[in-house]
Amino acid sequence: MIRARYPDETGYIERDGVRVFWERYGDGEPTILLLPTWTILHSRCWKAQIAYFARHCRVLTFDPRGNGRSDRPREPSAYAAAEFAADALAVMDATNTARAVLVSLSRGAQSALLVAAENPERVIGAAFVGPFFPASPLGGLRWRIMAHPWMRRALFVPPPVAAGWLKFNAIHWRDDYRDFVEWFIRRACNTPHSTKQIEDAVGWGLETDADTLIASAIGDFAAPATRRAQMALARRVRCPVLVISSPNDKITSHADAKALAHATGGRLVTVLDGGHNPHARKPVQVNLALRAFVKPAFTADSRGLRGARTVA
Amino acid sequence: MLTFDGRGNGKSDRPQDPERYAETEFAADALAVMDATRTDRAWLVSLSAGAQRALVLGADHPERVLGSVFVGPAVPLATSTPRARARAGFDDRRDTYDGWEKFNRHYWIDHYEDFLWFFFSHVFTEPHSTKQIEDSVGWALETDPETLIATSLGPGPSDEQSVRELAARNRCPVAVIHGTDDEIRSYKSGAALAELLHGELATLKGSGHNPFARDPVKSNLLLRDLIQPRRAPTSAWTRAKARPKRALYISSPIGLGHAQRDVAIARELRKLHPDLQIDWLAQDPVTRVLEAEGERIHPASAELANESSHIESESAEHDLHCFQAWRRMDEILVNNFMVFYDVVEAEPYDLWIGDEAWELDYFLHENPELKRAAYCWLTDFVGWLPMPDGGEREAFLTADYNAEMIEHIARFPRLRDRALFVGNPDDIVPDRLGPDLPPIREWTEQHFDFVGYVTGFDPALLADREALRAELGYAPDEQVCIVTVGGSGVGGDLLRRVIASFEQAKQLVPALRMIAVAGPRIDPSSLPTTPGLEVRPYVHNLYRHLAACDLAVVQGGLTTAMELTANRRPFMYFPLKHHFEQNFHVRHRLERYGAGRRMDFDSATPSTIAQAIAEEIGSEVDYAPVETDGARRAAERIAEML
Repeated sequence: MIRARYPDETGYIERDGVRVFWERYGDGEPTILLLPTWTILHSRCWKAQIAYFARHCRVLTFDPRGNGRSDRPREPSAYAAAEFAADALAVMDATNTARAVLVSLSRGAQSALLVAAENPERVIGAAFVGPFFPASPLGGLRWRIMAHPWMRRALFVPPPVAAGWLKFNAIHWRDDYRDFVEWFIRRACNTPHSTKQIEDAVGWGLETDADTLIASAIGDFAAPATRRAQMALARRVRCPVLVISSPNDKITSHADAKALAHATGGRLVTVLDGGHNPHARKPVQVNLALRAFVKPAFTADSRGLRGARTVA
Repeated sequence: MLTFDGRGNGKSDRPQDPERYAETEFAADALAVMDATRTDRAWLVSLSAGAQRALVLGADHPERVLGSVFVGPAVPLATSTPRARARAGFDDRRDTYDGWEKFNRHYWIDHYEDFLWFFFSHVFTEPHSTKQIEDSVGWALETDPETLIATSLGPGPSDEQSVRELAARNRCPVAVIHGTDDEIRSYKSGAALAELLHGELATLKGSGHNPFARDPVKSNLLLRDLIQPRRAPTSAWTRAKARPKRALYISSPIGLGHAQRDVAIARELRKLHPDLQIDWLAQDPVTRVLEAEGERIHPASAELANESSHIESESAEHDLHCFQAWRRMDEILVNNFMVFYDVVEAEPYDLWIGDEAWELDYFLHENPELKRAAYCWLTDFVGWLPMPDGGEREAFLTADYNAEMIEHIARFPRLRDRALFVGNPDDIVPDRLGPDLPPIREWTEQHFDFVGYVTGFDPALLADREALRAELGYAPDEQVCIVTVGGSGVGGDLLRRVIASFEQAKQLVPALRMIAVAGPRIDPSSLPTTPGLEVRPYVHNLYRHLAACDLAVVQGGLTTAMELTANRRPFMYFPLKHHFEQNFHVRHRLERYGAGRRMDFDSATPSTIAQAIAEEIGSEVDYAPVETDGARRAAERIAEML
């Protein structure tokens, strides 16, 4: 198998002894940083975007801590959203990238929000696909409960039966890691005829292991999961924002995506029947939406983000 | 959306004092309308003379202006038009008034309507603009020449210096839309304004002074994209009537099978539409055929990710799991569709022809709103089929892909304007599309037109074999055996094994002359050398050699096998293992024609191959005839859409 495009440059950044692998494709303007999502996937999850945007822009990707060609630390603290945000900035520094458009998927929303809120001078705009942003009253309830620091211990209580969301459990992962990965990915890729997307993602999930995923899950629980904290973080984001979500997303709710768009003053693009992975299952639609956001006119003299040039 | 009637026309008053028509007054009216409607900020869209008041507003009240779009702006910059110069003689009395001399206050008083017809016929330079001209004259007649004279004398930024001064104070986003055929205000002056304001310039090729009236759809979309960009604004546009007829041909780039027939169809299509320009979005090895035929390859082809490389990377020893290899090409298919979409978004085509152009057909059905041309789909097989050793999983997967195709066609029957099957109903395998899905033949007969096989050449022209052999350098007493594995790099192992049989075959057939054709993607120097054996790289029009030979040894690809069947030559074929198309679809078709001797690669040794060569070479064949008018029939069906 060959890829549609291979990186023009690759490398590692290292922070606190953890090495993170990055790739650069193309050298147009602006730079698009495709952020990693939860450690269950790695940077190949952007395979339907990379080649297209590399022809028109400059694309950076990096593997998350715990998967792909990055290290697999075992301390949960190594997987805090702030660490992913710091990795993103370190990759930008290593590639001499002053500013970039951040594109995130699911969990990646948390590190994207952090970078955009705390380092606005580095961020041209932020696009979120199926964002993990548990802020809507009902839609985000399960994740608010599951991602609460108090639930760390529950993750290690053997489930009465390993079915449905009870599979989201460290004991079950150690027992039957593959079963969890397949269940989770099938739930994420719930659009009919998604066999290829499911096989891809299960394959990426199996490149890491149960203990790494447990560490990453606990680390993620350090994220502010209350509605108030989520909304406060999102309101600090001042750059142009695009949110892409599907009503049939069974991992993160469409209502959460709407809440994120509302809190950031961003635009919501609804992709019907895209599940939790519209960028993989409906790549053309998502690519065109991202293109309109990043670079309305794919021409040499484009002025880039429209939002950036609207008079303040 | 806010509008207001300018002073002096419509439902607004008609003051007669020129001072009341100063550009600053128009600007103040605009602010008053915004105030009255509680509008803090707005985009300004101005036409012609409206440019001057828009510049005043942008300079003096930047806090009220989100951005400014100028359509055919009337500003004294760059080159001027006869209309712009006519202002100089505005007050002169004349005996006669010709052409732009009619732009004169005295002429207006006496011949107001005549002036209007003259003026608006120069506003709308596009053919067939009668309605727009009538509308405009009608609106102009709602006021009177005295009022119009007063508006013309109103003070405004009448020289280049004052425009530059205003422009320097305009800081908002700006776009200028200007027709290249504008006879009222020159396109160059609009371009100069865009440059002065550091704004975007949208060029409308062939448009006159008021594209918003004459080409409203395009203008509206353009304005929409400028104000609320969702897609790339078009920077240049040619009026529909001025466009040449163009087709974009996307030929399946895996191997060479499709290239020859697509060139033949294109040739027939040009006979029916001599003015048709055909561009090809194609990649190696198809581009070799296209270049040799002098076809026009679209430069964006260079952006395509190579499908043949992927297929070669998926192959093992004479083994290609065609369905899985195609599935794993999803990333390349997305990339190539995006290349396609960039092309068709930027350039108008009347017709897209996709010969097994999977990325186009699939993503079009996934994104039906992106269709913007007539579309013809061509294929020589329908239905992904599982290989027996793929088990339940592969049976499920192939059925799932077939089901998606069936759903696509059922939901969007309009997308394929023509669906052409290269072959006949009897060529279709007796299988079903899946356990709960219709039989392939039944479904295909419902959704396709059958054009018969397309050989890409006329066998009648090759019928004189003696002459052909003489031309190609094959002596009458030689027994010529051509070994060819198609256009991809997958066939190297078969070539090597047949080459290994050469010495034994030569003993059995002393007059044997064996020629191994490496094809475009196998390096001839990578093949073993044997004394007496000839190795050639890519051979253009290989079918002529196949028509002249005494035996061919080939892979199981449809095109080469059918070229041999049409030319009634004996051949042996080795289907690639796990290649469902070669093992089921092609085999079924060749058995129907009674053509070829099927061989099994795994059990074939150099000596069994040599033995088979000796048995088959020079033998008489009894094939069912192959039709010769397939390309013409396909072209006729396609031509209906142009």
